[in-house]
Amino acid sequence: MSLLRVEGIGKSFSGVVALNDISFSVGEGEIVGIMGANGAGKTTLFSIIAGNLRPNRGAITFDDRRIDGLRPDRISRRGIARTFQIVRPFGNLTVLENVALGALYGRRRERSAAAAQARAREILALLGLADRADLLARHLTLAGRKRLEIARSLATEPRLLLLDEVLAGLTPTEVASAMEIIRDFHKSHQVTIVMIEHVTRALMNLCQRIVVLHHGQKIAEGAPSAVAADPKTLSAYLGVTAPKAVP
Amino acid sequence: MSSQLLIAALVSGSVYALIALGLNLVYGTMRLLNVAHGEFVMIGAYCAYWGFELLGINPLVSILIAVPLTTLMAIGFYFGIFRTAMRSAEFMERIEANSLLVFFGTSVILQNAVALLFTPNQRDYRYADQIVHILDARVPVNKLIVLGIAGAVCIGAVAFFRLSTLGIAIKALIQQREAAALVGIPVARIDLLCFCLGFAIAGLAGVLVSMTEEISPYMGFPFTVTAFVVVILGGLGNVFGSLFGGLLLGVLETFGVALTAPSYRSIMIYGVFIAVLLLRPQGLFGAGRART
Amino acid sequence: MIPILRRQIGIATLVALLAIGLPWVGNEYYTGFAFTLVTWIALTESWIVISGMTGYVSLGHVVFIGIGAYVAALTWMVLPIWAIVPLTGLAAAALAAVVGYPCLRVRGPYFVILTFGVSELVKFIVINIEAGLSMSGRVLFAAPDIDDLFFIGLGLAWLSFVGALIVSHSRFGAGLRAIRENEEAAETIGISVGLLKLAAFVLSAIVPGMVGALLIMRSTYFEPMQIFNPQTSVLIVTMAVIGGSDRPVGPLLGVVLLVALQEVLWASLPQLYMIIVGVLLVGVVIGMPGGVYGRIQRLMAANAR
Repeated sequence: MSLLRVEGIGKSFSGVVALNDISFSVGEGEIVGIMGANGAGKTTLFSIIAGNLRPNRGAITFDDRRIDGLRPDRISRRGIARTFQIVRPFGNLTVLENVALGALYGRRRERSAAAAQARAREILALLGLADRADLLARHLTLAGRKRLEIARSLATEPRLLLLDEVLAGLTPTEVASAMEIIRDFHKSHQVTIVMIEHVTRALMNLCQRIVVLHHGQKIAEGAPSAVAADPKTLSAYLGVTAPKAVP
Repeated sequence: MSSQLLIAALVSGSVYALIALGLNLVYGTMRLLNVAHGEFVMIGAYCAYWGFELLGINPLVSILIAVPLTTLMAIGFYFGIFRTAMRSAEFMERIEANSLLVFFGTSVILQNAVALLFTPNQRDYRYADQIVHILDARVPVNKLIVLGIAGAVCIGAVAFFRLSTLGIAIKALIQQREAAALVGIPVARIDLLCFCLGFAIAGLAGVLVSMTEEISPYMGFPFTVTAFVVVILGGLGNVFGSLFGGLLLGVLETFGVALTAPSYRSIMIYGVFIAVLLLRPQGLFGAGRART
Repeated sequence: MIPILRRQIGIATLVALLAIGLPWVGNEYYTGFAFTLVTWIALTESWIVISGMTGYVSLGHVVFIGIGAYVAALTWMVLPIWAIVPLTGLAAAALAAVVGYPCLRVRGPYFVILTFGVSELVKFIVINIEAGLSMSGRVLFAAPDIDDLFFIGLGLAWLSFVGALIVSHSRFGAGLRAIRENEEAAETIGISVGLLKLAAFVLSAIVPGMVGALLIMRSTYFEPMQIFNPQTSVLIVTMAVIGGSDRPVGPLLGVVLLVALQEVLWASLPQLYMIIVGVLLVGVVIGMPGGVYGRIQRLMAANAR
């Protein structure tokens, strides 16, 4: 049973075609990866799913209801959360306040500040940010801000979480740590995940399926090993050898 | 009757275009909304007035006083206030709104300083107010002088921006600030240059305005408003566009007032102002986002 | 209600109750001074609900004062005062709803000059309406005396201060702050930004409308050029910014400073007063963006560590 269905999505910006006829679906509980060179249209796709952009063509169905064209806050309340590639923390609020806001609004729509804060603390603990709860968000390191972005999204209690390059710019240790965390909350919160990533190690190890985009088109889809060996993928990533799973 | 209105529209339109040109330079390069722009017009006007009343000099000669004065003020403002402000991280976070408040505070200071020094009363002086006949219109010579000088400067500006290297560099800076820096355009120096040019043109416009209108310490703000309307109508950084916008506004205002009543002038100007900001903040020619 | 909020409301109420005794303690001059203080408090505390919390700086807030004053002038003698005052609040709220809907859709700095433009536009419309009615100013007969006006003003000051406190501590206020910090991210986590901004804007207009009624009752004269004075908007912004527009306590400092200064300078040198106001505005925006209260808070936080 597919939770999210993307059908024939097309988007152009003043004549430049960013996305052309993109279709795929995501089943409940899956972790699906989106792969592609820069400019392939991956973030545009996320923005369309999350409501930050309207598609020119096509339809997006979430939980059997059409969501394309809805405003981002409504889509958030339906249960889709997203992180931004260039993180957008609420800089002058504390880490705790940032995450609590997700709980106050979003799908959870907590009414009481105390309950929202309690919920926020749970999530901060999960993401290893509990010790920085009272720090102002703009004083966090990049790795911290990325975790904050995820934490805030999780606080909205989404059914579908769109992660946009959350591993970019992290050291290998930080990547391994983040991957653990993603696996953990995927299980404990039962949230379906679609992740855009360049870190192939993560894509191979976390995702059950990968969709490959290139110049706004879908050129491959399937299990990680199949996609990695697919000649179309290899030719799009000229020179990249098939990645191996990290033990 | 219509040619009378047309000439009046041309005269005021050319002044609007001139003032908007100055605003465009500051706004375009530094992306700062200089709501004190009209106050520098006012200062230019007072230079001409006192030059004429106290020293008996021709207002056109006063231009040689007004322009250096406003340029000096621009330099003082740039280094004294803005360089200081930009050092604060908190200020830079909300630089657009903050700089607007700084400019607004400056306009309050200037208006009231002039009112304190010279009283808030309106003043005017008579210069070159003989009437000539053009077609079936009766036009005072001073208005023709205004049209001539404003028109010449505007046309000169268009040529400058099209043909000279510096002009093209400025346009590049306005359109793509980071890319301009990357190709070696000296961003900081051009910022300062445009800042000074903008204020200098405002001073010049003030001298011109003083020839045909009454002046007062509070005359500046309506000019700021019209300048904004023109800049937005014509598209940010688009010199030709703001010329067109200035003339268009001159026509709208002159004919609009003629069709209704002089007391409706302010309603129309502010009405157009609001309409443009709401409906088409990127201007008739421009592209760019002002919406959230 | 959370304890800290209850405590703050308690303190504010206590101070207000004590202040009620003022007219009996001092003479008419002091009551007049106190009236000025409480009306500016009422104005600035309302202003920060939109501008402090969302970052959408309104430079045209005098328009709500003016429209409230106009409605009061029009309904004078027709309605009793206890009906007029709430009506003016409603009128201002209605104007805010109509104006806010399109205006709040434009980005920060454009919003600032837009509100100024709207304020001037409404001023000139009212001027023309009055001219059309052959009215050059309206006199208000049998207006309440300064003591009664002070009591109403005190009530409005309490109302807007407590209102600002409640908003600051509420889920609504948290959403407004998120909008200020990053509007797109706020929308993405489920905040209906358009709705919240409009609600804040409308709320920020109510008390100023009622203050408008009070002001013309004090002067017993309605004249659009006077009451729609853009200088009032500048003063509201400056008082709030100087004090610190983030927390409700901030504007109190700014109000006291500027009203005290006004008492000294206004009669003799009003332009000098405005020059100082301008200098203060520029100085605070550059040097102390959090206002005096923000600076105090940061000092206290630094000492605590």
